[in-house]
Amino acid sequence: MTDLPAAGAIPVTPSPSRSILETDARTRARNRAEARFRAYGLGALLVGLIFLVLLLGSILWNGMGAFTQTQVTLPIELLESELDPEGTRDPAVIGEVSTFGYNDLIEASLARVVADAGVQTELDAGDLTDILSSGAAAQLREAVLADPSLVGQTVTFDLLAASRVDGYVKGRVTRESLADDRNLSPVHLDVVDQLRDAGFVSRGLNLDFITGADASEKRPEEAGIGVAMIGSFYMMLVVLGLSLPLGVAASIYLEEFAPKNRLTDLIEVNIANLAAVPSIVYGILGLAVFIQFAHLPQSAPLVGGLVLTLLTLPTIIIATRASLKAVPPSIRDAALGVGASKMQAVFHHVLPLAVPGIMTGTIIGMAHALGETAPLLLIGMVGFVASNYPGGVVEGFTSPNSAMPAQIYEWAKRADPAFYERAWGGIIVLLVFLLLMNLAAVLVRRRFERRW
Amino acid sequence: MNDMRLFERAAAVDGVKIRAQGVNVHYGAAHALKDVSVDIGDRLVTAFIGPSGCGKSTFLRCLNRMNDTIPAARVTGTIALDGQDIYDRRVDPVQLRAKVGMVFQKPNPFPKSIYDNVAYGPKIHGLAKNRAELDEIVEKALRRAALWTEAKDRLQSPGTGLSGGQQQRLCIARAIATEPEVLLMDEPCSALDPIATAQVEELIDELKQNYSVVIVTHSMQQAARVSQRTAFFHLGNLVEYGETGQIFTNPSDPRTESYISGRIG
Repeated sequence: MTDLPAAGAIPVTPSPSRSILETDARTRARNRAEARFRAYGLGALLVGLIFLVLLLGSILWNGMGAFTQTQVTLPIELLESELDPEGTRDPAVIGEVSTFGYNDLIEASLARVVADAGVQTELDAGDLTDILSSGAAAQLREAVLADPSLVGQTVTFDLLAASRVDGYVKGRVTRESLADDRNLSPVHLDVVDQLRDAGFVSRGLNLDFITGADASEKRPEEAGIGVAMIGSFYMMLVVLGLSLPLGVAASIYLEEFAPKNRLTDLIEVNIANLAAVPSIVYGILGLAVFIQFAHLPQSAPLVGGLVLTLLTLPTIIIATRASLKAVPPSIRDAALGVGASKMQAVFHHVLPLAVPGIMTGTIIGMAHALGETAPLLLIGMVGFVASNYPGGVVEGFTSPNSAMPAQIYEWAKRADPAFYERAWGGIIVLLVFLLLMNLAAVLVRRRFERRW
Repeated sequence: MNDMRLFERAAAVDGVKIRAQGVNVHYGAAHALKDVSVDIGDRLVTAFIGPSGCGKSTFLRCLNRMNDTIPAARVTGTIALDGQDIYDRRVDPVQLRAKVGMVFQKPNPFPKSIYDNVAYGPKIHGLAKNRAELDEIVEKALRRAALWTEAKDRLQSPGTGLSGGQQQRLCIARAIATEPEVLLMDEPCSALDPIATAQVEELIDELKQNYSVVIVTHSMQQAARVSQRTAFFHLGNLVEYGETGQIFTNPSDPRTESYISGRIG
């Protein structure tokens, strides 16, 4: 190499035409463009955050009320003469007394408490019970049937207040709003105020909302999301049990074994398209195939799970294929190079490296399925009052039930504003589950992620 | 590189290990390898040299049917290992690859422990009856790959945690643990520094006691240092094949001369 001029003869470059100490117009324009772009990005992020905060805030604001419930604490004389005249203490005999029999006991107890507390009211004893839930008698009856030895004693019960009273205590119902209300009058609220001061009316934690069953339109104070939660749980079992093995097997075949030809291209394109099919389409497909053709039970978590499996499969296949693709080919070469068969290479080396991606995809897919409502509309999992707990595992799959999002939808469309509060509360429960699942996805990824 | 010794280099050929005749490879429409015929001797090191894209790696991958994994690749001609055609329909490529091991350009240990990396091949081929035998095979392979002293105290630590040169020697140990008869090396030192390269080269020199080694390399010095036979590929043709000493000092083809003197490639 003799391209260099002779030593010592390096020419001094003339002073630059522009100083680098001052920015020229072009650079300034570029810097301004960059600053603008940053501002747009930051603005977009901020708008998104504001909406997120508003959303979460309004959900919490509207929904937290569902987790507390107003109760009326009453000492109730469980008269032997009314409930068990022969003194057998046999649950079968006591069971013959219907809720009407208990209504009288409650009425008497309430009248006594009102009188003792010196509450001034022109309401008679029969009207006074309107401040209690119409389910209060059933509540009492269940307690007695569970423990017949209570008969003959005076037991203090926390009875549910009527939903209007609950709404008044929570601030939703006012005297003005009760003006045209046939269920409760403002006079009742005066009684509630006085009983509250006397310590008989209180607002406590409402675990029944999380564990309980849905209730009829007349008794929003009793409605809970527990049974729908069980329905969702069984559906998720079906989804996990079917879509994970099917999805992973299909992806491994497509990614590692399938010949690359027009047919597999077509299948690939269609799987990608399936992920974008509106969920209600899956619902009508499930109605036609699983219920009308295969005669599976209507409203059952089994059918819901099957429909949601169809919905989740494309998501899982896409996630699994992406994570298989992300495993470097050098690992496959290495395995094949030492004489592993194609299947050994996949199952010993490629699949373990793809597991975090597969699990994340599966959990995200399941979370998506958990929140899906539209397909459940069509297979009859909406509108069904999920009032009974399933009797066992088999019944859990096959007996009619609802699911959490379907239950929320059901509450939201009922007329009584007390149900509206329940719907928001249900959303909080659902969001907690989704949050937990997403957290699981993150943790799984952290736990299994490996370098190669 | 000691040119003076190139002539003396022993090319005592025990016999032909692999005989390739009229091998053509097409990748779709591209004709990657044109009518290549080579005899690869037993127990010596054969180097393939040539500019990038000349087909030397493609040919190497034909020798253990790694090209099967590329859907578009089509191989014609015959390649016989000990007289048996490896492209015969009855040949299971998996069985073939146990006999013809491969070391790749980039060190690619499995993301497992050092021990498991080496033990994987013997395990799937059922070479060890029990744990003690497996331990023995692993130790022997690591010793032969000159990695034992560095790795013996950390056999359970991940193979990916080793340095580049160590990783490549681990890959060599992994390849020889299955007792192959031929070892194919595709630019095994291109990702290594000179010291690690020297170690691997030393290793290759020792390996030829037991194996027939085929090495693809971009470094002509390396080819001259380690090989007894050299094949020069250019644009998919095998231009010249002969004793390394002769190729480097007295090439018969003008293209070979241009390449080794740095005018093409």
